[in-house]
Amino acid sequence: MTPPATAAARTDALEPAPLIVGTPTDRVLNDELLDHVWNPKRGWKILFGIALAGTGLLLTGITVTLARGIGVWGNNIPVAWAYDIINFVWWIGIGHAGTLISAILLLFQQKWRTSINRFAEAMTLFAVVQAGLFPLIHLGRPWFAFWLFPYPSTLGAWPNFKSPLVWDVFAVSTYLTVSFLFWYLGLIPDLAALRDASRSKAQRIAYGIFALGWRGSARHYQHYRIGYLILAALSTPLVLSVHSIVSFDFAVSLLPGWHTTIFPPYFVAGAVFSGFAMVLTLMIPARKLLGFERVVTERHLENMAKVMLVTGMMVSYGYLMEHFIAWYSGNAYEAFVFSNRANGPYRAIYFMMLFCNVVVPQAFWWRKARTNVAWLWIASILINVGMWTERFIIIVTSLHRDFLPSSWGMYAPTWVDWSIYAGTISFFGLLFLLFLRFVPAVAVTEVKELRHEMAHAHAGGKEAAR
Amino acid sequence: MSATRWVLAEYRSVEDLYAAARRLRMAGHAEVDLHSPYPLPRSDEVLGLRRSKVPLLALAGGLAGVATSIAMQVWMNAVDYPINVGNRTLVPYPAMVPITFELGVLFSSFAIFFGALGLFGFPRTHHPVFEVEGFRTASIDALWLSVEVKPAEAERVADDLRRSGAAQVAVAPEAG
Repeated sequence: MTPPATAAARTDALEPAPLIVGTPTDRVLNDELLDHVWNPKRGWKILFGIALAGTGLLLTGITVTLARGIGVWGNNIPVAWAYDIINFVWWIGIGHAGTLISAILLLFQQKWRTSINRFAEAMTLFAVVQAGLFPLIHLGRPWFAFWLFPYPSTLGAWPNFKSPLVWDVFAVSTYLTVSFLFWYLGLIPDLAALRDASRSKAQRIAYGIFALGWRGSARHYQHYRIGYLILAALSTPLVLSVHSIVSFDFAVSLLPGWHTTIFPPYFVAGAVFSGFAMVLTLMIPARKLLGFERVVTERHLENMAKVMLVTGMMVSYGYLMEHFIAWYSGNAYEAFVFSNRANGPYRAIYFMMLFCNVVVPQAFWWRKARTNVAWLWIASILINVGMWTERFIIIVTSLHRDFLPSSWGMYAPTWVDWSIYAGTISFFGLLFLLFLRFVPAVAVTEVKELRHEMAHAHAGGKEAAR
Repeated sequence: MSATRWVLAEYRSVEDLYAAARRLRMAGHAEVDLHSPYPLPRSDEVLGLRRSKVPLLALAGGLAGVATSIAMQVWMNAVDYPINVGNRTLVPYPAMVPITFELGVLFSSFAIFFGALGLFGFPRTHHPVFEVEGFRTASIDALWLSVEVKPAEAERVADDLRRSGAAQVAVAPEAG
């Protein structure tokens, strides 16, 4: 079909910057957005090699842990939860932006989500995979991980469903599964487009299998659209529940610094904050390397910066409220934990957290900062660091000095902690590179639909004006 | 020899596509379908489709998840292996909320995903329409109409479609 040469761009006075640059035809969009699958970009192999080497570090860390036991980590009593839970919360928080972009923004009909949602959903999946690794290896004997699930064991025992840790198992595994189904359902028409644009028989067969036989049928689209919408509607409360439940792991305990009611919303805001930062960290180089500038425009980047400003302010409010309540409660232990954060041995990390999460996003009040790609990228990395330090502060400073001074201690990570953490970053990169190599990173079908809608709205507007 | 043949026609605009689909349906063909790279607005009206069953499947899945979760938690922690913690209740409703919610969402999502695949008849990687090479554009940038007819009617329907302004018409060869 030859589309009318109407601008798919400026259709609304309130939304001046275009979502799609120029007036590409469906064929052009198809060629441009799938090009990275057919023609691997230069540098892909180098990045893949680096990621593969880093994944080796992860395997080394895990092997040492399994061979020697978790004593090779820096964890101790009182700091029994350290890098494993910090990294778990960090990764799972990063995942949340993907679901927010793909589900919540879909329900709010935010059209700008279209070109970044597939990318962000893949990030979610891969981040949750990293997150899941940590509690698993923290078990010490991960081959007994199935004990976490209710299965008819010869011991006759069942999990204790009153424990937030068991809730967490259900929340994270549900989240991973539903994110995958949502991602794959959205991917089916794009896999069909890949199948039909493929150049060799092997490619056609491979993508043909994964496309499951999709033929763009209107009878199928009818079920598909409503199914996708309901999955989005289910994912929306799901994503809020997952990080709330993660925060229950802390909030339901009695430890000063953890035992607060603000944790669920504060964790969710922090998750979205860090997740958007990670989307930007990945998207800014990817749009350049893969040539997505036509569909991932300045406006997308600016909108993401705005979301980071809002969620950054929520996180800042969380910090403020924690300190206020610690003082207002009149509880000596609570007050001590918070003064210890700012004055104790980990104060450098605390001020790092305040700088990255409170000060850095303030720059986004200015349009210049929101549209300067280099600054956005640096800021997004700083925010990722900031959110990691936040989890370090929450976990380590609350544990290392609690009620009895006789049971105080200090925590320092070992090389094994560092290699597992760096290893998961590499493994995440590895999965992401594979995704960029074999799967359309932009939801081609949805971008075509958006182009069609915008062209249509434009034509309709003209007619109405006549 | 298969009992039916598939006639395919490509159109340049959505209006022509819809008009052709309406004419075929008026002529008594029930098995008319449209193929496009993205969902077309109002295509379900044009084809006279009934409302999708997917929302009902989602509801059924969700309710099954909730019921499973409540039954599981009550039976495992209060009946089969009662866990008495400081003589607190064995069936604490607030503490059951998180898992009940999660399983509701999980089962509902399974119902949507596999329910939709079931309604599509997927996985079905081979279909007679794929025998037409030009049909590959249906997922890229073209609008296609397909109709399943008796073998004897195939040529006549194809001629009608050609006259109706189709850009190209093909009768799918029988799959071997």
